[in-house]
Amino acid sequence: MTLTGCLVVSALLFAIGAFGVIVRRNAIAMIMGVELMLNAANLNFLAFWRFTAPNSIEPQVFVLIGITIAAAEAAVGLAVILNVYRRFGTIHLDEISTLKG
Amino acid sequence: MNSLGMQIAFYGLSAVVLVAALAVVTRRNVAHAAFALLPCFLGLAGLYAALDADFFFVIQVLVYAGAILVLFVFALMLTRDVVNPTTPQMNRLTGYAVPMALVLLLVTSALLLMHNWRTTADAPAEAGRQAADLGVALIGPYAVPFEAASLILLAALVGAVVLAKTEREPEPEPPALAPIPEEGP
Repeated sequence: MTLTGCLVVSALLFAIGAFGVIVRRNAIAMIMGVELMLNAANLNFLAFWRFTAPNSIEPQVFVLIGITIAAAEAAVGLAVILNVYRRFGTIHLDEISTLKG
Repeated sequence: MNSLGMQIAFYGLSAVVLVAALAVVTRRNVAHAAFALLPCFLGLAGLYAALDADFFFVIQVLVYAGAILVLFVFALMLTRDVVNPTTPQMNRLTGYAVPMALVLLLVTSALLLMHNWRTTADAPAEAGRQAADLGVALIGPYAVPFEAASLILLAALVGAVVLAKTEREPEPEPPALAPIPEEGP
């Protein structure tokens, strides 16, 4: 268990999440990809905290506030998706193209 | 920190997290993808525990595996008639997305493998001490970001309720009640 190992796992998780955000048609599944990316960022922060500055508190404050923002993002995002579903009857992102020029 | 058991735990937890994450982004049935988030989040919680961040182990289980997962499952249930396992779940960008994700991965991995990180062998404080220090920092030097985060959370909660609320027709006036007959003395 090394810093590099943790960072590689985090990079893999971020790439998988980014892939999900791009390819998913279902808006809820897209938000799942965003959550994976946010978790990768948290893992990165905690790995750097553990291996380079285990006695500082700042990384933990960052991660705690990051988790808070992620929770807020999930709540608002899913509420917006429910509204889109009521308005358009679908949550497939490639069918919701009213704003497309 | 680098005992054999720790190594096995790290590789095992990483494998669980990554396999579950792949299932989340590739499963055709979105409900299966949502449930694959559970081993992913729990594996990450295990990684946090292996990194001696015990407080975040608890937070990860409570917030992600507990609250956010339930939120996803509820959203899936409310939109269930479009979540049909037979409809394709990938858009036409898949051909571009695979090389893009691979390039992203290769560039970040190459950069972080080339860099010589200055690590320290210091051990962090024990778990109870960490949580206490974090609490003191949150009401001391980091009180403003902490309050801002709580304000954002409150705004998000109110906003989510307002956005998700259905607009109902006003209910018709109930018919006037017949007067209650007075009881005789």
